[in-house]
Amino acid sequence: MESQKSTDGLGLSRRSFLEGLGGFGGSSLLMAGMSALGFGIASAQAAPPTLTGGGGKKVVILGAGVAGMTSAYELSKAGYDVTILEARSFAGGRCQTARKGFTSTELGGETQVCDFDDGLYINHGPWRIPYHHHSTLHYTKEFNIPLEVFVNDNDASYVMFDKGKGPMAGKPVRKGEVAADIRGGAAEILAKSIKQGALDQQMTAADRDHLIAYLVKEGYLNNDLAYKGTDGRGFDIWPGAGVNPGPGVVKPPRPFVDVLNSDTWKTLGSVTNYEQQRTMFQPVGGMDRIAKGFEAQVGKYIRYSTQVKSFRQNDKGVEIAYVDGDGKSGTIKADYCICTIPLSVLRQMDIQVSPKFKAAIGEVSYALVGKIGLQMKRRFWEEDHSIYGGHVYFDDPEILTMSLPSTGWQSKKGVILGYYQFGSQAAKVSALSPGERQALAGRAGERVFPGYADSIEKSFSAAWHRIDHNLGGWAQWTDDGRANAYPTLCEPDGRLYLAGEHLSYITGWQAGGIESAWQQIGKLHARVHAA
Amino acid sequence: MRSVVLSLVALGLMASPALALDGQRGFLENCSACHQKDGRGVPGAFPALAGSKVVRGDPKEPLGRILNGRGGMPAFEGELSDPEIASILTYVRGAWGNKAGPILAEQVAGQRKTARRENAKASLQAH
Repeated sequence: MESQKSTDGLGLSRRSFLEGLGGFGGSSLLMAGMSALGFGIASAQAAPPTLTGGGGKKVVILGAGVAGMTSAYELSKAGYDVTILEARSFAGGRCQTARKGFTSTELGGETQVCDFDDGLYINHGPWRIPYHHHSTLHYTKEFNIPLEVFVNDNDASYVMFDKGKGPMAGKPVRKGEVAADIRGGAAEILAKSIKQGALDQQMTAADRDHLIAYLVKEGYLNNDLAYKGTDGRGFDIWPGAGVNPGPGVVKPPRPFVDVLNSDTWKTLGSVTNYEQQRTMFQPVGGMDRIAKGFEAQVGKYIRYSTQVKSFRQNDKGVEIAYVDGDGKSGTIKADYCICTIPLSVLRQMDIQVSPKFKAAIGEVSYALVGKIGLQMKRRFWEEDHSIYGGHVYFDDPEILTMSLPSTGWQSKKGVILGYYQFGSQAAKVSALSPGERQALAGRAGERVFPGYADSIEKSFSAAWHRIDHNLGGWAQWTDDGRANAYPTLCEPDGRLYLAGEHLSYITGWQAGGIESAWQQIGKLHARVHAA
Repeated sequence: MRSVVLSLVALGLMASPALALDGQRGFLENCSACHQKDGRGVPGAFPALAGSKVVRGDPKEPLGRILNGRGGMPAFEGELSDPEIASILTYVRGAWGNKAGPILAEQVAGQRKTARRENAKASLQAH
């Protein structure tokens, strides 16, 4: 690094100390430049490839999820003759919404028929859309799917941590209070340390003053560089009219050591990373509006309730054997095949591919994921707690996230996401019956909101690893898998192209499926035109 | 094989009834959602453990799958302790007609590796 040349006897010079830290700024400027060139870390492709002249070439697409329907939509527009084989009786893949009448039978489980009141639903698959998933937003716009804001962060909501130490453990605490107190406490310590000379050797007086000015602002510090709370974290008596309540009484901060030891601050970074933002989007009426939007365009190409039995290919074409909804076997021939079947399912199917390709398919794990929607008698989180949307963060690994609906504000009832758990915890909870899952969610919620369990009227739960045709929430690549198997699968095997979230670095998001489809149909089209 | 099992019994290394019970409970809690309570799995989705050659064979193979995951199966390396995995696999190797020897916690420990897995971190948020 350039600045390291100007060292003095004490190590880095005062100026280069800051410049050294600024190296991060340098790299983010570089990243911004890369993003403009299309190599950025944001979901990169904002529009589908422009394809023309498909010339009636036949393409069979396996799976009518967003990747499959994206492929069908764009290829059919370009003049390809497309057919989609879909195992289910409905389109969308994991883009599902459970509302009245939605039926699900997990493998080894009992049948659940969603019985929520009219207008209520749970998005048990994808449920929020980042602003930078240009590809997903491309289609919501193209298909006129109304969006509303998904509240992904709410300072008024609770953090419920059992595992921390001190008096905050096991109690619901407003997230905004945690944020103010940890920022205030940390800023106070740092500001006072600087004032006492801790960085005199490393920084110039002007830089130190500037940094302290920032810390005063960041941590709500007073003239003595002390944090004494801030009205933004709430009041014991809220301000109002007249002299009583009049100005109200600000809630005092908690002792810094209590907040630090509670570990509740671990939740604060959760909405500032690449995938999660404070406000996101959701389609009005349920995520499956996106599936319906695609289906309105490509439904005519879909053969529903049609299960693929085998895939064969040679240098002239492909042949897929299937069994349709009436139990009749058949085959379909085409020039090419785009397969969007999750690798967790594909790895167990009879497909004619190279040994290397076959081995690569087996190299990926799929996430175990569980969610439950709880229809609540009344919106107590809004009425009694003034929490409008956002999440309760709970460090019980069987719960992790309870989410309050970002729709139907102030209406009579609502559906809460009661848990969102992963891995072995999802395995555990998924071994329970739907009724037992509801009871588990109720017991946990009761600890945050008294009366929660009694308010539950109905529930619908999903364990994605036990859902036929998915067998997992999303692909989880290891570093080894990314380095070795993944590149193999991104290229066609003969006339077979794979597409889906599993072939992207946006795994588990619809944007991954869409952009993977865009990339693969672009390759297929280039090949057709090169021939 | 029989003589090995007998000698383990003689040495007191055979799983105690209490450990077997823990193994069964651990299996029901962690594994039965997919492999089913009767160990028969779901054809085309979740492999049967009853009668499985992998389960009854060299412990390295089933231990590797439990620790690191494979295909649709998740990794349990961060979720279960060595004794827990040992007791569960011991139960599975002796249940539903399977007759294979017990697994010791040391065998599990010897096979742990730290392959980093995307999304496997205990994140409070995902997708």
